[in-house]
Amino acid sequence: MGLNNTDISKKTVNSSGIIVLQNLTKKFGDNLVLDNISLAVEKGKTTVIIGPSGCGKTVLIKHMILLLRPTAGEVYFKGQRIDNLSEKELNKVRTSFGFLFQGGALFDSLNVSENILFPITQHYNASEQRNLDEIVKSKLAVVGMDGYQLQYPEKLSGGQKKRVALARAIAMNPEVMLYDEPTTGLDPIRSDIINELILKLQTSLGHTSIVVTHDMKSAYKVGDRIVMLHRGKIIADGDADYIKNHPHPVVQQFINGQVSEEDLAMLRMKGSEFKSQFAPSDFKE
Amino acid sequence: MFELGAMLDSFGAKAVEDVNSIGRSIRFIWSGLAAAFLSIFHPRSYALTLTQMNIIGVKSVPVIMVTGAFVGMTLAIQAYDQLAFMGLEERLGVLINVSVVKELGPVLAAVMLSGRIGGALTAELGTMKVTEQIEAVRSMGTDPIKYLVAPRVLATLLLTPFLIIYADLLGIIGGYFVSVVQLGINEQAYWSYSARGVELWDVTIGIVKGFFFGGAIASISCYKGFYCREGAEGVGRACTEAFVASFISILALNFAMGVIFKAIYNTLWPLRILL
Repeated sequence: MGLNNTDISKKTVNSSGIIVLQNLTKKFGDNLVLDNISLAVEKGKTTVIIGPSGCGKTVLIKHMILLLRPTAGEVYFKGQRIDNLSEKELNKVRTSFGFLFQGGALFDSLNVSENILFPITQHYNASEQRNLDEIVKSKLAVVGMDGYQLQYPEKLSGGQKKRVALARAIAMNPEVMLYDEPTTGLDPIRSDIINELILKLQTSLGHTSIVVTHDMKSAYKVGDRIVMLHRGKIIADGDADYIKNHPHPVVQQFINGQVSEEDLAMLRMKGSEFKSQFAPSDFKE
Repeated sequence: MFELGAMLDSFGAKAVEDVNSIGRSIRFIWSGLAAAFLSIFHPRSYALTLTQMNIIGVKSVPVIMVTGAFVGMTLAIQAYDQLAFMGLEERLGVLINVSVVKELGPVLAAVMLSGRIGGALTAELGTMKVTEQIEAVRSMGTDPIKYLVAPRVLATLLLTPFLIIYADLLGIIGGYFVSVVQLGINEQAYWSYSARGVELWDVTIGIVKGFFFGGAIASISCYKGFYCREGAEGVGRACTEAFVASFISILALNFAMGVIFKAIYNTLWPLRILL
């Protein structure tokens, strides 16, 4: 079971996914990052996007919320095309999304409570909202950070920042959650806490999740579907078992954390050859 | 031939990039100024603007006053000998006070502000940009121009004229202390000539210049922060570029407004007799 890229392109034309990327291409100058990608994200499921560093995973996920605009192709959300909307129109669409940035992106000048209330106060009249403190308390309780309301981000650890950022991302009860490298920079225990929170939010709130990661343990734990990017294209798309048994050598190399033959050849250079490549000649031995 | 082609390619690419950059900066500055003006009619934005007014305006008062004081004192010291040689030292007050209120007070106060608040705005917004905080604002359906740029531009626009008044006041007081107390010029003559020489028009154009200087400083600094390159080096470079661009803008605007105000004065001055 599982889909290859051809199956994906055929499926997307008739797809009813909550988010649909159709023939998406993105170039930065002459650098082609995404090459004619088509992807339909299924509602209520967790889709994980994996790939080597710099392959365009973050660029791809940012297109889903139009933080980046495609060079070519279309983006659909709930059947409506959104890549041709103005920023003002997109602001309304974005209230259906929650985005957990890689570094958390908490606002330094606001404390934890103010960070969480930010999306609410921007879209609703704060004076008309009752129990703002209760809202903050409930969101922080979900991520296990109740009691930190008056702390500023500079006083929090990396894991705590991620959890507060997650609480902020769910403040508006979004339909879709986007996670950009949620476990990067965290120790294994804190990483597993984030994985558990992703699962908890998906099962209890029923929203659609898209997770970008190169942490395979995290991908297997949270993902209903795993999509791998390589050189701007999708080279694998399926559930965890399909990915684990995928015949593509690049997929196997990535999921098993194996160095490529080219890199191994360089590392296996003999001593004198290695030194001549890397040791400056004017250094005395 | 190949090298000529590559050189033309590179030149063309750079020209396109520069034109894009100019267009982007004009669109950004226009959006920022428009958002600042419209925020006056949105009470929900007042809290943000007041916070920026405290940071940008209130906390700049001491350094602006020091700047103004030294401008007045230095003018007195430097101009005294030339006027005393001609027996005109009692007119030192006119020279100092007209120079301070019309040119040196506004320009040097604006330059001080571009270093102090311009650098701070660029660094703050640049750091927000490299840590994805600005994208976080967008991802939550909020316009970062309205939330981040408009309060800062409005606060700077409104408060720079007041800061220039402080600079002018301390320039006048500093000039007075050096001229009268230190150099021994007759106090009554000093103020008498000053009152005749300094017109309300001189004070007004100095203050009006403050609006334009403040708008330029805030818009340019916010733009440089929004579009800085990644990393500490990118933020640092953006701060330097913001100061240089603000400084040149202040000088260019000062010249342009000097020409315009002179033309207005020459047109309206003869009509004063009719009032």
